[in-house]
This record gives sequence, C-alpha cells and structure tokens, in this order.
Amino acid sequence: MSNTRQSWYEAGARERIAALVDPASFAEFIGPERREISPHLSIFDLPTQFDDGIVVGCGAIGGTPVFVAAQEGRFMGGAVGEVHGAKLTGLLRAAKAVARDVVIAFDTGGVRLQEANAGEIAIAEIMRGVVEARMAGVRVVGLIGGRAGCYGGGGLIAGCCSTLIVSEQGRISVTGPEVIETNKGVEEFDSRDRSFVWRTMGGKHRTLIGGADVFVEDDTMAFRDATRAALARAPKLDGNTLAAEQARLERRITRFGEASDATDIWQLLGIDDPWAIPDMPATGFATLADTYRERADDAR
Amino acid sequence: MRQWNTRKALREERIAAGGVFANAKAIDPKHLVDFLEAVLRPGDRVCIEGDNQKQADVLARGLADMDPARIHDLHMVQSGVVLPEHLDIFDSGIAKRLDFSYSGPQSARIARMLFGGKIELGAIHTYLELFARYFVDLTPQVALIAAVSADRHGNLYTGPNTEDTPTVVEATSFGSGLVIAQVGEIVDTLPRVDIPGDQVHFVLDAGRPFYVEPLFTRDPAAMTETQILTAMMAIKGLYEPYGVRRLNHGIGFNTAAIELLLPTYGEKLGLKGKICTHWALNPHPTLIPAIEAGWVEQVHCFGSEVGMEDYLAARPDIFFTGPDGSLRSNRAFSQTAGLYACDMFIGSTLQIDLSGHSSTITANRIAGFGGAPNMGSDARGRRHPSAPWLQAGAEADPDTPAPLRRGRKLVVQIGETFGEGNAPLFVEKLSALELAEKLDLDLAPVMVYADDTTHIVTEEGIANLLLCRNADEREQAIRGVAGFTEIGRGRDKTMLERLRARKIIQRPEDLGIDPLDANRNMLAARSIKDLMLASGGLYRPPSRFRNW
Repeated sequence: MSNTRQSWYEAGARERIAALVDPASFAEFIGPERREISPHLSIFDLPTQFDDGIVVGCGAIGGTPVFVAAQEGRFMGGAVGEVHGAKLTGLLRAAKAVARDVVIAFDTGGVRLQEANAGEIAIAEIMRGVVEARMAGVRVVGLIGGRAGCYGGGGLIAGCCSTLIVSEQGRISVTGPEVIETNKGVEEFDSRDRSFVWRTMGGKHRTLIGGADVFVEDDTMAFRDATRAALARAPKLDGNTLAAEQARLERRITRFGEASDATDIWQLLGIDDPWAIPDMPATGFATLADTYRERADDAR
Repeated sequence: MRQWNTRKALREERIAAGGVFANAKAIDPKHLVDFLEAVLRPGDRVCIEGDNQKQADVLARGLADMDPARIHDLHMVQSGVVLPEHLDIFDSGIAKRLDFSYSGPQSARIARMLFGGKIELGAIHTYLELFARYFVDLTPQVALIAAVSADRHGNLYTGPNTEDTPTVVEATSFGSGLVIAQVGEIVDTLPRVDIPGDQVHFVLDAGRPFYVEPLFTRDPAAMTETQILTAMMAIKGLYEPYGVRRLNHGIGFNTAAIELLLPTYGEKLGLKGKICTHWALNPHPTLIPAIEAGWVEQVHCFGSEVGMEDYLAARPDIFFTGPDGSLRSNRAFSQTAGLYACDMFIGSTLQIDLSGHSSTITANRIAGFGGAPNMGSDARGRRHPSAPWLQAGAEADPDTPAPLRRGRKLVVQIGETFGEGNAPLFVEKLSALELAEKLDLDLAPVMVYADDTTHIVTEEGIANLLLCRNADEREQAIRGVAGFTEIGRGRDKTMLERLRARKIIQRPEDLGIDPLDANRNMLAARSIKDLMLASGGLYRPPSRFRNW
C-alpha cells in the first residue's frame, strides 16, 4: 500500500506553490528575509510571521509566466492583515500593469480581527485589483482546498475570480459556520455537524450550484493540471457577463429559494440520489456534476 | 428461625410496587419517575449502566427527576460518571455514596463535588475491579441498564455495544436484585438474545436508542509527524525485537499512528504476520487498513464504535459476532483478555514522573481509571509463557534460573515530550499526588505504576526500564528521553552515554530511523474519508468526523 499523492489540503503555502509552478521557476517578492511583519500583532502579544502568512511571487506554469500567491492557513487561519493584504494587492496591480495572469491559492478565514480596519480595506483593494486586472484581460484563477477554507473577505475575493478550482475539502462562504450558529442559533446552523457544514459550503455543493467552476481531487497535481487548463481559457469580463450572471442568480433564488438543505437543491437539479453525493469519489462526482450542475458566467 | 430469603422477598415487594406503573414487564413511560420511586428504597445500592461509551441515559434522567424527599442517600455503584444527571442526583441528595471507575467528561465537576463534600467517595476503581466487587461486597440491589431492543418476555438484544450489561445483570439478578432495562424499541422477535428475559424484571420503551459516544475514533488528518516518528520507533524498537503479536492499544493518536503504519512501514520491515495479529481492542477505525491488508487475525472488543457496525458484521473472521451477524462486545471478558492474554499494552499519558509512575490526572480533574490500569499492568497470576513475555522477564531479571523466573508484560508509555498546550510530559511531581493531598485520599490516582512500566517512547528515544539495575539508572533513563523539558535538561550526560551503550536508551538513529522520514505520506490513511474508502464504504463515520 502506498500513499504518495501529495494532498493539497495538507500542504502548506510554499509546498502548494512548489507543486504548482515549473521546477526552479519561482521567484518570491518581499520574501521572509525582508521581515515585513504585521505592525499590529505585537500589540496583542501575538506571534508574527516573516511573510505575514502569504507568499507572493512570479513563476511559470507549463512554460507560461504567471504571478502566484498562496495564503498560509496555518498562520492565524490564513487571515488577512495589513501587510498580507498589501502583498496581494500589489501583485494584482502588477498583473494588470504587465498583463500577466494570476493564480491565488486561497486558505483563509477572512479578515484578521486584530487588524480589522486595515484588513477590511485590504479586502476591498484586492477585490478592486482583481476586477481591474480582469477588465484589462488578465485571468485570475482561484484555488480552494485548504484547511481554513475560503471565508469572509476571502469568499468575496474568490467570487471575483475568472475561474475557481475547488476540491471536496474546500469550503467557500462569507459567514462561517460558528458565526452563523452564534448569531442565528444551533437550530438554524449546527456548526459541529461537519457533514452538514460540508454539504452546505463544501466543494461539491459549490460546484453543483455554480459557485466554483472546476472540481478536482485533493491532489496537488490535479490542482496544477486544472490551473493550466484554466489559464488557457479566454479571459472575459464585461457588462454582458455580469448581466448574464445577475440573471442566473435571480433564477437560482426562484428555483432553490425554498430548499432547506443542499440535498434538496441537488434533487431539484435532477440528481436521483442526492444523499449519495457526499460519499462519491472525485472522478465519479466530476462526471455527474458535468451533467447536472449550474454553470456560472465567468462571474459568481 | 432465621429467614433465608429476605433478599428475594424484598425483590418481590419491589416488583409488586413497580407493577402498579407497568403492564406486566413494560413500564408506562409516562410514569417512569413514579415507577422508580416505587421500586427504590432510601439507601439502596444502585447501578446505573454507563461507561466511556454507552449510557442508560433515559433511566438516568428518570433517577434525577425523582423526589429526594422520597428517595435519598442512594449508594451508586457504576462504571461511568459521564452524564450530568449522574452528578445531579448527588447535588439533590438522591444519592450520597459513590463507587465508580471512569468520569471523563465530568472530571472537573466530580472533583469539585468531592472537594465540597457533596459526594461520599467509596473508591475509584478500574472497570475489572468494580465488576469484581459487584460479586463480593458491592452487589447492586437495583440495576438500570440499556439495550437496543426487548421482546414481550423481557429478553434483551444489546447489539454491538453489549459492553458491561451481562456483568451487571449477572451480579444483580442472581444476587436477588432488580433489573430494569431501557430499550430503543420492543419487537416481536429479537435479532439475538444477549440477556435472557428471566433475568430482567422491567423494561422501559424509551422510543429511541441509548446514547453512545464515539470515543475511539481518531482522525488521521490530525496526526503529527512527531506522532508518526514515535510510532515508527515503537514498531522498530519494540514490536519487532520482542515479536509482539498479542496486544492492546490505548486511545491516543500515537497508537492510532502505529495502527496506520502497519500496512506501510510495517510491511516495509517485513513484519506482517510477525506482529499485531491478535488484539483485545475496541474496533478502532484506524485499524481498518491493517485489517484489510491482512495483518490482523482476531480482535475481541470491550465495546463497539459508532459507525463501525456494518464493517464489523462484514468481517466475522476477525471480530466476535452473534448469530444475527453483528458484533458482540463484552467489557469484563475483554479486560480479562487484556490483563492475562496480551503481551503488550501501549498507551499515551499526560504525566510521567522520575520513577516512571504515570497519570492522566491534571490539577482539579478526576477522570478515573477506566480499563488502562488493568491493561497497563503485569498480571502476577499469569502462568502461560510466550516469547515476548519471557524475553522481557529475562531482561528484568537475568540472574534467576529461567524455570523460576516470571515473565513480564510489556507496558509502554508513548508520547511527545511536550503535549497539548505545550505541557511537559515529564514532571517532578505528579498532579495526582497534589490531588490526593487535597482530597485526603489514601491512594494517589496513578494510572500505571512505575514497577509495571517497562518502556517509555518519545520522539527523543526509547527508554528500556527493564534493563535498569537501580533507581539512579532508571531516573537517568527517563531523563534521557525527556527532551527539553525541565526533567530532560537535568540529565547526566556521561551516564546517559553508558546507558545508550547498554541499549537502555535508544535514539532514532540507533534504530536506523531518520526522523526526516517520518511524514504523513507514510500513513495508510490520512483522513477519515480514507478510512471509509479502505473499508469499502462499510465504515460509516459519524457526522462530526466528516469533512465531506
């Protein structure tokens, strides 16, 4: 029995980048040797990290030069602070300036509470950065399958990407399970019912309702292959795209607005045995999803 | 003339009084509390079934709802103090005295109540000890037990989670006590009869299954590289040289990592069939890959594990199953098996002192013992030889002639030098001692005594205490694997080199292990989902362990 596939879920930010880009092609911007640490965390007596929990730089994927960013979910849950945010904003602005595609490996719980204002502003700047880059013809590909998921402002940024690639483990949402439970009660959302959490926010559900575009196995090579394919797609973002997506989202509310569980939605999509979905292996699921899923219009 | 049947007469009185609120054996659920108040007497010795897994939860609720003016001063004799109701009855005065074994989730509250004098403590036992006392001086007058289903005659099906039930019923029913069972449903025909109906006096249809805690599920996703390293060292430094085939594993991540390394690292070392073939063990989901790869010949279980039922039923060559196909567990027999028929116990602990005593007690918490002290002790009554037992005995006592020399059970403590919250594993003084002083206990609650402990495994090395010839060597051997803890930094380096030359201390490199090889790719399963897939979809993990 061997188990040599490299799990994207378990990998750290640097391991993910190493798996994504061509060997020896990566050059980091503002690396840990620059020690650009958070100016806020020490006030709270919290540990800092020399890269502030995000690695940004340039590399090549299949010979094509790209900018790459990867959040480190193991440092403060990948939360976005001032420096962390500025590094990503800068990368996106550079992408627009030199017309180079961007790959973002998300792994974040959202904004860092200890530097909330700076973090919130950073999220807005990053979203603007993504949209402006895309309007200029740059592809921004988001990869989601880490331990922290993609929550809060991370979920908003992900929504702006050209293509989202997700694995079963990946979760995408704005408000997280614990926060919903705290505010709305355990009857509304039981955050400890993990299969419910994944059914509602996980990669399979997001794929089926058009919240993510490509579903892959939890394997760094699968993420790399899907990224290459996404970088080959035509970049597209204009008023028509957004109007089409708005119409789709309105249809979605009409169609699924009464559903109380993801399985109800899957049934409405025409899937015979929705309760079998969570246990399905990735390949079988991807085939099934191709037949039944809703598709986003390069926006979501 | 002395009456020789007063106990049976009292039972008849209880049956008559309870009958008012029952239709034959079936208790009217709306009058459960009235029923309990009718059959109980103040001062009764009562067993409420519950251990670290299953719980007679509806009956526990009923007990707590009784009127303390009518029923009070009960003497509770029970395996587990686990549900809040188990302690509520002491707060309200319904119960007064307590003899128990395990109190995991209530460990903080029970300590507070003991300290506040709310509970008169008999003793804290191991499971097997408490069961033994059910037959000697703690025989229950009333037992409240839990089963999956009953038929009209009171026959019970206890299913995979049979656990303590046969023992409690045996002592109570044949000791002229009253047996009351809560069941999930009453059916015409049972899948199998675990408890004969003539030993059961009343049955409550609770309308839902009894509660079971999935206590033995360890998520491979949470296993660290350090735990993998200690697991590799245990396999190569202990399982292989002693040839350990019959064993019990503790509940922690270190031993779960060993289970997941058997089909990978163990296979590479060529150990299949040579180690880990026969077990006294709960059905750990992390054992699935080893079972599927053909490592395991037989497992006897204390209890079951939530989600494992279909898998166990599909592997009757490995597990003990009934005519209905489902698992039959039995805590008393499995504990006896662990004590007498296993050559090794290996488990994690929270604190180890300089003599090698270990304890899972931390300040202000009394978690009880459960079964670990029986697993983790040398059985002085053992008489049958086996290779690992003889080898360990020879290491401990090379001078006695072999035919008169006792063997030794391998009792191994495994852990990282710094545990959860960076708490050091090695301490000058066990918190258990402080607790004993505070509560004025005769005995400190020590989980595994120093004279039973044969080896300690940490990421820094293996200490073989069998080979130590005096207290100084023993202390230095322990310091020698204690890493950067205060205890570890207090080591005598020259003495340690001598101990290393005698293989009392073995480092990873002495065993041919490169710590950099200890990575998660070595695990036969890296997530709960991998375990489910390895079982061919037969293992159904509970929702709280799913991330899909």
